[in-house]
Amino acid sequence: MNPIPEDPKREFSLSRRDFIRTSMAAGTGLLMTGPAILHGQASSSVTRDLKVAIIGTGSQGRVLLEACAGIPNIQFVAVCDMWDYSLRYGQGILRKRGFKPNPYEDYQEMLSKESDLDAVIIATPDFMHAEQTNACLRAGINVYCEKMMSNSIDGARSMVQTARETGKLLQVGHQRRSNPRYLHAKHRMLGDAKLLGRITHINGQWNRAVGEDLGWPNRHEIKPDRLARFGYENMHQFRNWRWFKQYSGGPISDLGAHQIDIYNWFLGTPPKSIMASGGLDYYKDRDWYDNAMVVYEYDTAQGPVRAFYQVLTTTSAGGGYFEYFMGTEGSLRISENPAYTAAFREANAPEWESHVREGIVRMSAPKTAAAPTLKPWEKPRPGQAAANAAPTVVDVRETAALSEWELPVQLDKAIHQPHLENFFDAIRNGTPLNSPGEVGLETLATVLKVNEAIAAEKKLRFDPMDFRI
Amino acid sequence: MQLLTLVSFLASASLASAGLIPLETELPKPSYKGTPVPIQVENLEPPRVGERPPIMVPEGTVNLSLGKPVTSSDEWPIIGEPDYITDGDKQAEEGYYVELGPDLQWVQIDLEQESEIHAIFMWHYHAQARVYHDVVVQIATDPDFESGVVTVFNNDHDNSAGMGVGKDLAYIESHEGRAIEVKGVKGQYVRLYSNGNTSDGMNHYIEVEVFGTP
Repeated sequence: MNPIPEDPKREFSLSRRDFIRTSMAAGTGLLMTGPAILHGQASSSVTRDLKVAIIGTGSQGRVLLEACAGIPNIQFVAVCDMWDYSLRYGQGILRKRGFKPNPYEDYQEMLSKESDLDAVIIATPDFMHAEQTNACLRAGINVYCEKMMSNSIDGARSMVQTARETGKLLQVGHQRRSNPRYLHAKHRMLGDAKLLGRITHINGQWNRAVGEDLGWPNRHEIKPDRLARFGYENMHQFRNWRWFKQYSGGPISDLGAHQIDIYNWFLGTPPKSIMASGGLDYYKDRDWYDNAMVVYEYDTAQGPVRAFYQVLTTTSAGGGYFEYFMGTEGSLRISENPAYTAAFREANAPEWESHVREGIVRMSAPKTAAAPTLKPWEKPRPGQAAANAAPTVVDVRETAALSEWELPVQLDKAIHQPHLENFFDAIRNGTPLNSPGEVGLETLATVLKVNEAIAAEKKLRFDPMDFRI
Repeated sequence: MQLLTLVSFLASASLASAGLIPLETELPKPSYKGTPVPIQVENLEPPRVGERPPIMVPEGTVNLSLGKPVTSSDEWPIIGEPDYITDGDKQAEEGYYVELGPDLQWVQIDLEQESEIHAIFMWHYHAQARVYHDVVVQIATDPDFESGVVTVFNNDHDNSAGMGVGKDLAYIESHEGRAIEVKGVKGQYVRLYSNGNTSDGMNHYIEVEVFGTP
């Protein structure tokens, strides 16, 4: 261990720290979630603070720490990262939140010294997830593991197996499954009200503009022997691990996994086949496909569903990221960004007034020309105002425009907070996990098959055993 | 169009005759990464049309803050060091910014002598489209900012920072930073406040440039 030296001056005002913790604890509560699956053994009615550690305080780990800031009755006692920069960063955030975590650069040393942990949050690169999760579970600690669950199906299977053997909880970070808007869509709109009729197709995307490689300042460069000890070839790959095959499944895994998980969840089944095209067409010095276009085929109880998905990393066209479920009576476009979320009723479908009364949908506010598709950070494009103001000529052969409706449920917390709350509530009270290891495995098998299908250049079939251990 | 050109020419000629020139600074490369976080801010400025208008400054105006000492309200920043703010490096990568804790925080630059200040450029964090709350910029001759304080920017629309309601608008961070025209205020110390941001509640600074004449 190479702990960050304690500096007595960092013991700043206790009153301020206490104030922060008190104010964090006030006004927060645990989210009631919908039906889910319970796996693993939960402690019943744990009333003390849960002792928590985090492994990995890079950008995603810090997002999770921020989400935890709103959750009461958890105590961060340890933080671990192999990069001194991220370790200091994670330690600094937690100190500001009133904790005094012990710092570690090696998770094995952390496990050997922290003997009374209730939970570990893992937010390291994907290739470390199986090893670290299995070690934590075997040490008797419940695990929240970021998605992608692993970079291999064998790794994911081992995690499910270990959770079953140890009886500890494993929550995989598909946080949409705890988002109240997604839960409302799944259980009330598609379940109770069957608002879309029969779902026949899905379209989804996560498109991002061109982005440069991540860099690092010389003062924080890690020495080659140390990188090698932790499994990295060099500093460039360490910083950009999401693009290299030995650490990750690439953009379809990083971004697509969140949304393809929703395809399976909402349809209640994994797909039966897949076709895909993609390539490394734009970037240099990377491994993974920078774009992928996928068609899944599902057999559902209501009939076949064809589902398209694309992840593009050279354009943000089409409104960023969303999942669009299309049915015979309506459609649902849903996203973690509420601005991209809406329901649409087909003109020939039954009226939705009764659904408004039941709180399933509500009327959309009228759209004005002054509220176009501009995101706050976008600048008006030449001619846009004129185009918006121009009268629309409707071709009579077109289907009538669909009426647009809103979902009456919003998330007023950090987007990861409800999923973490679900995890801690499962430890404390036995609440069912919303995304246990079995769910993570099913999603992983669905998503990693994309890379296989691109390489195969042909339609591939799933075997039901692909989704099981 | 001809009239506009004429007006522009006359304005330029007038400014040139007054010894004013457009202030230029080197911008970092655009660095937005990842998926944007939704922004909901009441007093957000509308998108700008066209290029940022130049700030006209007297000839001989230089960056007075480069390499000058910086202090902050947060004695122990979460990451980074205050002196990054005047090191001349405007990159938004990990390791190039200082992150102060939550709530209202400030950084303060000591120009080491009283100077006439004509413009201030500031970059909080520009790898993500985000808005910093209660951005207030003040100049003073007193290092404790208890007397002779001039506020040159304030977008605290509800006085949550307690320094009065400001009429400036909230803005989205980008590689351009924010340019503040100061018009010759005299002072030795520049203090910049912020009160968290729309992404994570913390307070970040990459670089601040104080332009003036010594």
